[in-house]
Amino acid sequence: MLRFIGKRLWHGGLTLAALVTLTFFVMRLAPGGPFSRNRKISPEVQANIEAAFHLDEPIWQQFGRFVWGVLRLDLGPSTRHRDYSVNDLIASGLPYSLTIGFWAVVVAAMVGVALGLAGALRRNSATDYLAGIVGVVGIAIPIFVIGPLLQATFALRLDWLPVGGINNGWHSLILPVVVLALPNIAYISRLTRTSMIETQRENYIRTARAKGIGWRRVLWRHTLTGALLPVIAYLGPATAAIITGSILIETIFAVPGIGRHFVDAALNRDYPLVMGITLLYGGILILFNIATDVIRAVLDPRIRNER
Amino acid sequence: MIGKAGKVARWLAGAAVALSLATGPALADDTLDRGVGSEWSSLDPQVNFDSAAGWILADAYEGLITFDPDGKIIPGAAESWEASADGKTYTFHLRDGLKWSNGDPLVAQDFVNNVLRTLNPDTVSEKGYYFYSTIKVKGAAALANGETKDPSVLGVTAPDERTVVVEMETPAPHILDLMGSFQMAPLHTPSFEANGAGVFIDPAKVVSNGAYIIKEVVPQSHVLLERNPNYWDAANVNIPFVKYHVTEDVGTELKRYQAGELDITYDIPLADMERLKAETPDEVRVFPSTYLIYYSFNLSNPDLQNIDLRRALSLALDRDVLENKIVKGGATPKLNYAGGFDPEYHGPDIAEAAMSQADREALAKELYAKAGYGPDNPLKLSIATTVAEVNMRRAQGAALMWKKVLGAEVEVNSMERKAWLDLFYTDDWSIFADNLVGDFAGPETFLSYMRPSAEPGYGWEKPEYDAAMDVAAEKPDKASRYIELAKAEKILLDDTIFAPISIEPYRHLVKPNVKGFGTSAAGYNNSQWMTLE
Repeated sequence: MLRFIGKRLWHGGLTLAALVTLTFFVMRLAPGGPFSRNRKISPEVQANIEAAFHLDEPIWQQFGRFVWGVLRLDLGPSTRHRDYSVNDLIASGLPYSLTIGFWAVVVAAMVGVALGLAGALRRNSATDYLAGIVGVVGIAIPIFVIGPLLQATFALRLDWLPVGGINNGWHSLILPVVVLALPNIAYISRLTRTSMIETQRENYIRTARAKGIGWRRVLWRHTLTGALLPVIAYLGPATAAIITGSILIETIFAVPGIGRHFVDAALNRDYPLVMGITLLYGGILILFNIATDVIRAVLDPRIRNER
Repeated sequence: MIGKAGKVARWLAGAAVALSLATGPALADDTLDRGVGSEWSSLDPQVNFDSAAGWILADAYEGLITFDPDGKIIPGAAESWEASADGKTYTFHLRDGLKWSNGDPLVAQDFVNNVLRTLNPDTVSEKGYYFYSTIKVKGAAALANGETKDPSVLGVTAPDERTVVVEMETPAPHILDLMGSFQMAPLHTPSFEANGAGVFIDPAKVVSNGAYIIKEVVPQSHVLLERNPNYWDAANVNIPFVKYHVTEDVGTELKRYQAGELDITYDIPLADMERLKAETPDEVRVFPSTYLIYYSFNLSNPDLQNIDLRRALSLALDRDVLENKIVKGGATPKLNYAGGFDPEYHGPDIAEAAMSQADREALAKELYAKAGYGPDNPLKLSIATTVAEVNMRRAQGAALMWKKVLGAEVEVNSMERKAWLDLFYTDDWSIFADNLVGDFAGPETFLSYMRPSAEPGYGWEKPEYDAAMDVAAEKPDKASRYIELAKAEKILLDDTIFAPISIEPYRHLVKPNVKGFGTSAAGYNNSQWMTLE
């Protein structure tokens, strides 16, 4: 098992290094720099500004400086947000993104599995159709439509929740969490339903029933464990995607999370901030993938014994 | 079973009450909530170059002068000032008993230190040019370029605790426009030296001299300001708290305004302008800024080297239709370049202004044919613009007009803003959807930018223009200076190196209970003038 984890970590590290290197150089290919402006300032002053951020150095040297910084966990100063270092900005934005992401995963997993189970156990019933409709709606309607729609309904018309910002405690969380969870509720419920139906047809389930075990016990102990494997496989990357993919949500609901910084940084060519967040997002994605593999290996001996 | 349902119902009702209680009064009445668009780039007064962050800093810091609600220059930290006869030296007299927010006395040297720190290469500020280019303060260029580190060369001095003297190499009546908080916020040296530049975002340590002090800073979320009891005019500051919210998405900003979470917005979505104007005309505030829109012609392009063609392109644009029917963003159409910012500047007489649009289009067709283009040989060009909606609409409208009036085939080449900025210097464009934000609301900031000697960008060689600008630069008073500037503008417009289009406005929504929000072209709407009723 340890060897399995070690190997996964090693591969993850390599992937991350490749990602970061690629981002570093592709970023520099994009036209414009952090200090391109409408107005020309005197060449001496421009040179001075670029030197202060080491932009005058050859690119391999800048890369070396970046790698050295990463090793010391210092991502450098932000070129756009002059009052802050990249570490400061990540530290300020990450808690908001994580909070929203965490609750969205919890809501998506609980509601999604519940809907899927209900659908699988009472196939073609009203519950099943309802779950199906939620699924279709959640997948088909994009976030940038459903978000403003919910804002117009629950904030403007009903005045129950704030439109955006983070000034109203947990009330501010409800809309972003729901919108972020919705597409995942849809996927998870579909996945659970299909997987449950398939598992119920497996021979070992029939054997268990034939041995005289009650259907409740078969459902919880045998069917569900098997049926949830694909859901768990989905949840790992989905959790990472939810945490890193809330960029649009953060803009629509004015949440000061890290996704907003990412877009801002890319548009403003804030190289250090883009690199910092890429590293973070890449790291999160890889870690969750590894965690998923480990959990699946624990649950399913076939995967564990593969290598 | 019934008991259980009752419990659930009660719980639901309780939750609903809790929800409505917690969200109903989202804002206390003692706070003014303002949108600032994207996140401020810096709260360091010597470094910040963003106009939106400039609002926050204008509340927190006061310069020698300040701007009243209508953008007029009024005394700030200085109660009076006078100019020398040659217009090269200005002497400012500070009010008696000025204090910093921590109670320290505010002295003239604090203003000198602001200029020194702005110019110091170690500060890495982009704002030094205000002092060595927009106005030419003695010694400023040498300090900015790192030729010297000796502060005594600087032409900004403090002969005593209440006097600030600014000596310039050439007279500049627009100096007063640059003595506000954006360029001339004083520097509290002890707190800066003790804590470095981090002090400006640290509410526990920051020391300021404006009507408000910084209480809370959350990146990508908000800056909270509280009334400064040590401000000299604190008795007339009405609103206890001001909160500046980051409002990245203009659609969300509108909803937050409608829900009562904001009192003043940063912008208005173009798509909602007409509806809002019809429904709530008093809340829509649209007024000209110093943001000038013009379409530059690339003078190294063989087609565009022909002045007849350039004139034809400019004349063929119906600016009224373009701005009021196509873009619909509230911009002010214009045919001149530097006019429309300072009402005292009248600019040169231009023939096109007296013509009807039909006459302009007829002349445009004539010039287009004269330049050798026609249905068999149409002009083919492209407009380089950013992807911002207002710019896209404008470029598409212009291309359509050139097609309709002249038969020219002009395509719109839209790109991300940074790519657009860089494209300009590559020379790989024919028509550039250009803009310029003036340093102040007057003609000279725009006309100086076009000097062939100062800005190599346009590839325009015109010694007469430089000469005319040099003559103007020697005039110490506004009236005679404006006469000379108008002569220079005539030379500029006659060459049609660009087609002037319009002045972009500020677009704000302001709640009816907010009083004292004026129309300031320079863009300063200090919270200290406002009241919440």
